[in-house]
Amino acid sequence: MKKEWRRYLGVHAPRYTSYPTALKFTPDVGADAYAERLDRVEPYEPLSVYVHVPFCRRLCWYCGCNMRVENDYGRALDYVTALIAEIQAVGRRLKGRGRPVAVHFGGGTPNYLLADDLAAILSVIEGEFGLTDDAQIAIELDPRSLRDDDADRLAALGFNRMSLGIQDFDLAVQEAINRIQSFDMIEACVGAIRSAGVNDLSFDVLYGLPKQTARSFESTIDKVIALAPDRVSVFGYAHLPAALKNQRMIRDEDLPDGRLRSELVDYADARLCAAGYMRIGFDHYAKPGNPLAEAMREGRLRRNFQGFTDDVADTVIGLGASAIGYIGGLYAQNEKDLRAYGERARRGELTTVRGVRRTDRDEVVAGAIAALLCRFEVDIRPLEAILGPEARRRMASRLGELAEERVVALRGGVLQINPDAYALARVAAMALDPDAPAFEKVSSAV
Amino acid sequence: MDVPLKHKSCVSESRPVACELCDVRERSICADLRPQELSHVERIMSRKTVAKGRAIMAEGEPNEALFVVVTGSFRLTKHLEDGRRQVTGFLYKGDFAGLRTTEENPYTAEALEPSLICHFPHRFLDEAARVSPGVKDRLIARAQTEYHKAQDHIVLLGKKTAEERVHSFLLSLADSIGEAPHQGRRRTRLPMPRQDIADFLGLRLETLSRTLASLKKKGRIVDVTRNDVVLVLDDH
Repeated sequence: MKKEWRRYLGVHAPRYTSYPTALKFTPDVGADAYAERLDRVEPYEPLSVYVHVPFCRRLCWYCGCNMRVENDYGRALDYVTALIAEIQAVGRRLKGRGRPVAVHFGGGTPNYLLADDLAAILSVIEGEFGLTDDAQIAIELDPRSLRDDDADRLAALGFNRMSLGIQDFDLAVQEAINRIQSFDMIEACVGAIRSAGVNDLSFDVLYGLPKQTARSFESTIDKVIALAPDRVSVFGYAHLPAALKNQRMIRDEDLPDGRLRSELVDYADARLCAAGYMRIGFDHYAKPGNPLAEAMREGRLRRNFQGFTDDVADTVIGLGASAIGYIGGLYAQNEKDLRAYGERARRGELTTVRGVRRTDRDEVVAGAIAALLCRFEVDIRPLEAILGPEARRRMASRLGELAEERVVALRGGVLQINPDAYALARVAAMALDPDAPAFEKVSSAV
Repeated sequence: MDVPLKHKSCVSESRPVACELCDVRERSICADLRPQELSHVERIMSRKTVAKGRAIMAEGEPNEALFVVVTGSFRLTKHLEDGRRQVTGFLYKGDFAGLRTTEENPYTAEALEPSLICHFPHRFLDEAARVSPGVKDRLIARAQTEYHKAQDHIVLLGKKTAEERVHSFLLSLADSIGEAPHQGRRRTRLPMPRQDIADFLGLRLETLSRTLASLKKKGRIVDVTRNDVVLVLDDH
């Protein structure tokens, strides 16, 4: 990546998995507002269902998710009971309307739960919302918690997409993030998942982790390619120790500097592309023929809370503590606190505590940002037309700066991201976001 | 009488032969027609055999005709934008499709077995309505059944367990095409493949198989085969 671009790599840009972003959520949106939207779901309307499992066996020091280390499985069982009650509460509202096209179990560590408990949750989803054989059913897996016959059991339950948290294969890096998992273990997991018949396997890899070097990361990427996952996500580690206590275990001096970060992301991109993967958006890669690559090729790539997706649903049903739903312009987030979530859900209530309604202006901004991130090109004239003079001036000034650095090009109202600057797509998106802070205000010293 | 039913019938006003012979007349839209109207309608309709797997209407195509199922059965599907399909219903003897509530066909209807239909082009129906002003109103009233079928599906999908959904489906199937109840049991054909039933009920094939096995174990059904099932009636 060009030297002048490195400072942008240190900008903590929102992930734009929603717009407005979660920072804009307020307590004005509660269970009643969400219930009212659930009532309006149409028959056969495609639904994307997200199930949050907040438990982990151990704490990874880089983690930024809503999770807790739990040693008492009894508490996890209480959570499963609450989750089932919540699914039933949503089902009572939907009354058979809507149809899941995708179910995604994320975490935390979804496979913290035993296969029998995952089966129970899936079965209630099938009863309440309906499931068909063409639904994508995905689960994020911690390879360290994958028991002997888990892959077979999960595949038999209908999980047809699995994702392994790899992060990095280097032992020094693994020690520095408190996540030790050998290559042999991962290789065995991949073998088990493949022999279970799963043909959509994804790896998560992180760059910018402590102790990463150019050499260690090259070796990690080469091992990833050797294991031939169908998809790879390459995320940049965001170090926010002030906000995330566990990240204080990571020493600042172990973190790669801006120059190294930019080399790491470039290496991953070059190697994955050379190995035949297609770049999807700014941080995903998929083998040609994979549904995500097909969606990209056919121009129907989308972005939701899980990142880039081939899922067609506009409507998201979020289940579990802190999960976010989206129906007809309303974002609704569930109670985060596990105890409060459990109490409310077990009483048969929806647990929405925060959210935001998209305004007409938000709708236009959201559309422009999604197009930019998914297709790297967007006509910004509709956006200019609805912004006030002040916001329009700010957008022009940010785009001017990015255009000067050749991160983007603006021709006749059409904004394009320089393909070489793909990793800066979120920064370019910030320029279209009238609510985003100035780049300088959210930059880390890298 | 030796009028071949599959041929377009074009007989004298006084003797609507094909319709007189039709054993679904009592259950179809024709039930509401007076003899005079019936003979008018008969002149604009044609009978067609439909081979298994053939579509009589395709989603998104112009809605040009009304169909009545005389024998056989059809599967109704809607497509999602990524090519996946939703089975939204089935048509049996006496059911119809294509009443002009939309410009385009709202779904695709494909024959599940060799079937026979009556086919009424809308433009001729409109003419008939001018001649016999009551016809159209009664047809529109009948359109409610198309709407009710869609409502029934949502009610069915609103049932919370696989067992309730499968059992309700079998009961309603028996009401449509089942044999007469006999000693507390009722046999019905299953003209559609298992996958279609599963898709229709919002269940996965594996769940449907497990549920059928469980209903059998509980004695609510007996003799479930690929092509038919015998229901044990609850109130016996």
